[in-house]
Amino acid sequence: MMISFVIGKLFRAATVLLGVSFLTFIIGHSSGDPVLLMVRGDATPQQKEDLRHSLGLDRPVLEQYATYVERAVHGDLGISYRQRVPVSRLISLRLPYSLELAGAAFSAALILGFALGVIAALNRGRLIDHLITALSISSQVVPAFWLGLVLVLLFAVYWQVLPVFGSGGLQYLLLPAITLALPTLGRIARLARGGMLDVLGSDYIRTARAKGLSERSVLLHHAAKNALLPLMTQAGLELGDMVGSAFLVETVFAWPGIGRMVVNAVLQRDFLVVQGCVLVIAAGFVLINLTVDLLYARVDPRVRAR
Amino acid sequence: MALLAVLPAGCGRDPNRPVVIASVSDVSSLDPHLLDVNHPTGSVIWSLFDSLVRRDADGVDLPRLATSWERRDDLTWRFHLRRGVKFQDGSSFTAEDVKFSVDRMGMSPFNTLTQLWPQTTLKEARVIDEYTVDLVTEKPSVTLLYWLEEAFIVPKAYYSTHDTAYVNTHPLGSGPYRLVEWIPGDHVTLMANPDYFNGAPALKDVLFNVVPDVSTRLNALATGDIDLALELTADSANRANTPHSHAIESVGLRKIHFGISQKGNQLALRDARVRQAMNYAIDVHTMIKTLMHGSTTALASVVNAPNADPTLPPYSYQPERARQLLAAAGYAQGFDLDINFSPMWGQDKDVSETVAGYLNAVGIRTHLHQDEWSDFRRKLSDQGFDGIFFAGWAALISPPVELVIFTCGQEDNASGYCDPQYDDLVQRAAAEYDDGKRRELINAAQRVVWDRAFWIFLWHGPVYAGISSRIDYELRPDDYVEIYLAKPKR
Repeated sequence: MMISFVIGKLFRAATVLLGVSFLTFIIGHSSGDPVLLMVRGDATPQQKEDLRHSLGLDRPVLEQYATYVERAVHGDLGISYRQRVPVSRLISLRLPYSLELAGAAFSAALILGFALGVIAALNRGRLIDHLITALSISSQVVPAFWLGLVLVLLFAVYWQVLPVFGSGGLQYLLLPAITLALPTLGRIARLARGGMLDVLGSDYIRTARAKGLSERSVLLHHAAKNALLPLMTQAGLELGDMVGSAFLVETVFAWPGIGRMVVNAVLQRDFLVVQGCVLVIAAGFVLINLTVDLLYARVDPRVRAR
Repeated sequence: MALLAVLPAGCGRDPNRPVVIASVSDVSSLDPHLLDVNHPTGSVIWSLFDSLVRRDADGVDLPRLATSWERRDDLTWRFHLRRGVKFQDGSSFTAEDVKFSVDRMGMSPFNTLTQLWPQTTLKEARVIDEYTVDLVTEKPSVTLLYWLEEAFIVPKAYYSTHDTAYVNTHPLGSGPYRLVEWIPGDHVTLMANPDYFNGAPALKDVLFNVVPDVSTRLNALATGDIDLALELTADSANRANTPHSHAIESVGLRKIHFGISQKGNQLALRDARVRQAMNYAIDVHTMIKTLMHGSTTALASVVNAPNADPTLPPYSYQPERARQLLAAAGYAQGFDLDINFSPMWGQDKDVSETVAGYLNAVGIRTHLHQDEWSDFRRKLSDQGFDGIFFAGWAALISPPVELVIFTCGQEDNASGYCDPQYDDLVQRAAAEYDDGKRRELINAAQRVVWDRAFWIFLWHGPVYAGISSRIDYELRPDDYVEIYLAKPKR
């Protein structure tokens, strides 16, 4: 049962990746000509044509796509038009930074967000509940580039306890991770609060209390576990998002992640880099969703039975 | 807060850290024959490699790998090479390396991706002896030395035995610095070449760092984390004045203007009186004072000093005269004009909106149109604009190169002007070795550009940077950073 469940999911994952790569390929190729951005000055039409030919850009798009997929399966994502470095090397240089940043921001957001949500739910209607709700809403409306700059001004420029930008240690990671984590933290806190309130009002909690279980046991073993369930899907999406859309945070902190790379590649029509990044980000999403599905199946037997 | 207090502070307080240069973007390649922009790619290439001739900040040709040169006839130049120069792998530099490098520049893809090869008009290099080489051009060329300054010499043995992908990331030159590492998108680390023919540079370790956000560059300068914050803007440059650093600026060589499309559907622009009217309608001096904080000067010619014709004044602000010229051209009721801009030369939006205001005031109905850079760039090379377009041109000192922008069919001629008489002046100037006669031809061509108002002339694009108190360095107006000329302070 579990094995066919996993195989089915994997098959769908492969289909999704193929679809994503095809769409990116088509959209990329219809959005502009990289050759025009590469050549400079006096290049003649013939020279541009030669270059287009040497890059394989003069062949039918579908044929180019077929070649691309064939090579990608073997791990060859092509060579960047602009920097002439293999795309797989560019990604392998930048992806660890993205994962480090997203990993730190995500864990902080999930743990703190859930804790704050639960605290708010348990203190429903009191001052602390209002404070947490206010924090969770404001964290979602403050733009990342502004928050990042304010944090830098305070911690790096005025108090000088943290560096302005860079990478390579906890002190470099803190500010960008906080900036990236806050909006997610806010969303998680709100979801956790709502989920916890639903659960607390349900029959089995009353039963648990009636059985004479300690309040601590009721909250930890019965309530929190069930309140976590709806959070898992949202959390998975948030994690995927953090890798792909950290562009603003990466820009403000000069963090060498994949988000900045993909945006620059789009602006320069460096298709193969865009293609490679999108593929890797999509694979990340698929992997996360798969993990969430498996976790669900583990935590909630009803999913397996279906 | 307690946690933060125990963390080590940023690297800014370490007096032995490398000198850090922060720029918006990353180098595009470390292959010297693929050089595409002055900074940062050019700055790094200039540090790793040598050319035969060095171009100083004023555009003067100085010896580098060549100690002297002479022109033997209209097409042949003889270069005497420096002896005892070593590449960074210990091999010796000879005339064979010059020939190999020249041949390499003339091959695909190098001759397609950069304009170096066609601009040099080189035909071949002939080795005369180990330290003498003749360069032969297709036609007489007064700009040969200018372009040779960007024609870098690579060691034949290394570059003929490794493929282009490898040498792109593993450069080997004879320059003042050698490569430690290049992490694309993040930084290039260089270290001084102790065996450099001109002596090891004063700064030992240098880092070219990508810091895309201008506020981040300024903050890092204020905390002492970086030493050179480049590509600042007119309204931010002031913030580079801190206890650890100060702002530096230079008037710059790039000529900021609006190109005026001759190919689009706005036919009024083909009338010289309309183009003059637009120049008279705009108060450039006030714009410089307000938008540019007075940091630059008004533009009068397509050619930079010292070759600009001093008798050409900038257009003055005369809105009444502008209206008269429009009326004389049959546009007393005005006409519809597209104003195109893209975020490339800084303050594009502010400048375009201000110009729109001035043109509205004399009755021209303007429509602002913003393009993403790659679309804008495509329109530049396709002559695909309607109306006028905000642009910068040629941060260099070399009149024949600067004047080509209006010659018929030339790739940079985004406006689509085509005038055989003007082309004749420019072509004769590029082939005229007599200084006096060349000067006359150049002045005549500039006069045509001014009289017939081929551009809306704005100003010289200023260059702003912030520099830390750790180093001494004088900014070049053409954006190249010659970090090997910088000196540590104190």
